[in-house]
Amino acid sequence: MAAPDLRAELDSLLLQLLGDLEELEGKRAVLNARVEEGWLSLAKARYAMGAKSVGPLQYASHMEPQVCLHTSEAQEGLQKFKVVRAGVHTPEEVGPGEAALRRRKGPAKTPEPQSSEAPQDPLNWFGILVPHSLRQAQASFRDGLQLAADIASLQNRIDWGRNQLRELQEKLKQLEPGAA
Amino acid sequence: MLEGAELYFNVDHGYLEGLVRGCKASLLTQQDYINLVQCETLEDLKIHLQTTDYGNFLANQTNPLTVSKIDTEMRKRLCGEFEYFRNHSLEPLSTFLTYMTCSYMIDNVILLMNGALQKKSVKEILGKCHPLGRFTEMEAVNIAETPSDLFNAILVETPLAPFFQDCMSENALDELNIELLRNKLYKSYLETFYKFCKNHGDVTAEVMCPILEFEADRRAFIITLNSFGTELSKEDRETLYPTFGKLYPEGLRLLAQAEDFDQMKSIVDHYVVYKPLFEAVGGSGGKTLEDVFYEREVQMNVLAFNRQFHYGVFYAYVKLKEQEMRNIVWIAECISQRHRTKINSYIPIL
Repeated sequence: MAAPDLRAELDSLLLQLLGDLEELEGKRAVLNARVEEGWLSLAKARYAMGAKSVGPLQYASHMEPQVCLHTSEAQEGLQKFKVVRAGVHTPEEVGPGEAALRRRKGPAKTPEPQSSEAPQDPLNWFGILVPHSLRQAQASFRDGLQLAADIASLQNRIDWGRNQLRELQEKLKQLEPGAA
Repeated sequence: MLEGAELYFNVDHGYLEGLVRGCKASLLTQQDYINLVQCETLEDLKIHLQTTDYGNFLANQTNPLTVSKIDTEMRKRLCGEFEYFRNHSLEPLSTFLTYMTCSYMIDNVILLMNGALQKKSVKEILGKCHPLGRFTEMEAVNIAETPSDLFNAILVETPLAPFFQDCMSENALDELNIELLRNKLYKSYLETFYKFCKNHGDVTAEVMCPILEFEADRRAFIITLNSFGTELSKEDRETLYPTFGKLYPEGLRLLAQAEDFDQMKSIVDHYVVYKPLFEAVGGSGGKTLEDVFYEREVQMNVLAFNRQFHYGVFYAYVKLKEQEMRNIVWIAECISQRHRTKINSYIPIL
């Protein structure tokens, strides 16, 4: 490949990398804010319901996840993460080699084409009449989950981008041993 | 109506009333709260609490100190004081104090049943039960399958037995039914307690009846608010409202049909006492309905101490102490989560 083309590609890759980094910073800040909000809402729920009503006594040690992580490989070496609600996968999604279904929490089970009804809403572990702050906490943590998957994808893309950058710089050095 | 309470009260209950007033004087003051809010860590909080009447109650706690441990130790301390009152009391104060423990017993029964649903070990849950609501049949609660089972086999000898009249059913105990059972038991308990206070008459009735009426109305509001968007039907909701209080019966009928917060607010327009409370919700402080109700409860309980020769001081003291515990737990949570923006949302008492 000619040197100017290589340089152009290098530049565009660098710009994309910097853009990704900025997006990552932004998403990390939002994730921190959501998680903090979630924990504070849980503290508010404890204030309203009693300190022992929102705690490890209310959930079982084995739980069915409501949400699964779906990984797919878009390009060579570049993995994307997607958050998928459990209980809604169609038969076709199970099987293809590139897509892998990974459970985030709970016991590992082989995915079945006809899965049972969606797992129970964890809000019901705390009773049917729960205060608004508990629902807010659930919403904050759900948003955080989506963001976490995006952040993981972004970090992967940044690592992949850095590797590409290094390769291109190597190639450039070989073509123009004197230039940087 | 003067029935001579001033003449006879002190014979049986004067010592305990003096004691409870002394305990009330040692509740945390505004200055104490200001000191607590400035703490950076839970260890600082522990040191500051040592200078108050709490003393060294956390001395035996191993590191690391958690909010849950602080809460457990405070509850134990309150239980110790309450047991002293109960052991030294005579009738009818003893019955009054037993009525006070029933609400904690109901909470413990529900905690045990929920734990059974989640397949938790009984020992684990017993450790977290409220010490004020302890009764001997507690360990057996988790084997019950239906409410009738629960009553016939286990709770028939406890003070909770009279509250089971509306709750007998053969339905299996899942989350919805446990929630219904909790609220029906509590409704029955409040109604029985209210009747007891009313029949006692005298200053006790004058002080306790408004407090219990407020409690009934507050439960109706909170049940309504929390039931929006859940699977609880309107008919079921109506059966959970206590049948006394300012809202009974017209307000309760209207509340049963409400479908969102604004409809509740328009119902409350007819009740002069509750209208300003609902208007204080939201706003710049982000107050919830529970917050404004807690504030009003604190006001009523502090006023109870303005009159002498009645049992309401014991009820008011325990409720004020609980609010203080809620305040300390809230401050401790804000400190441990390092999220100090809302740390001043506690409700000062003295």
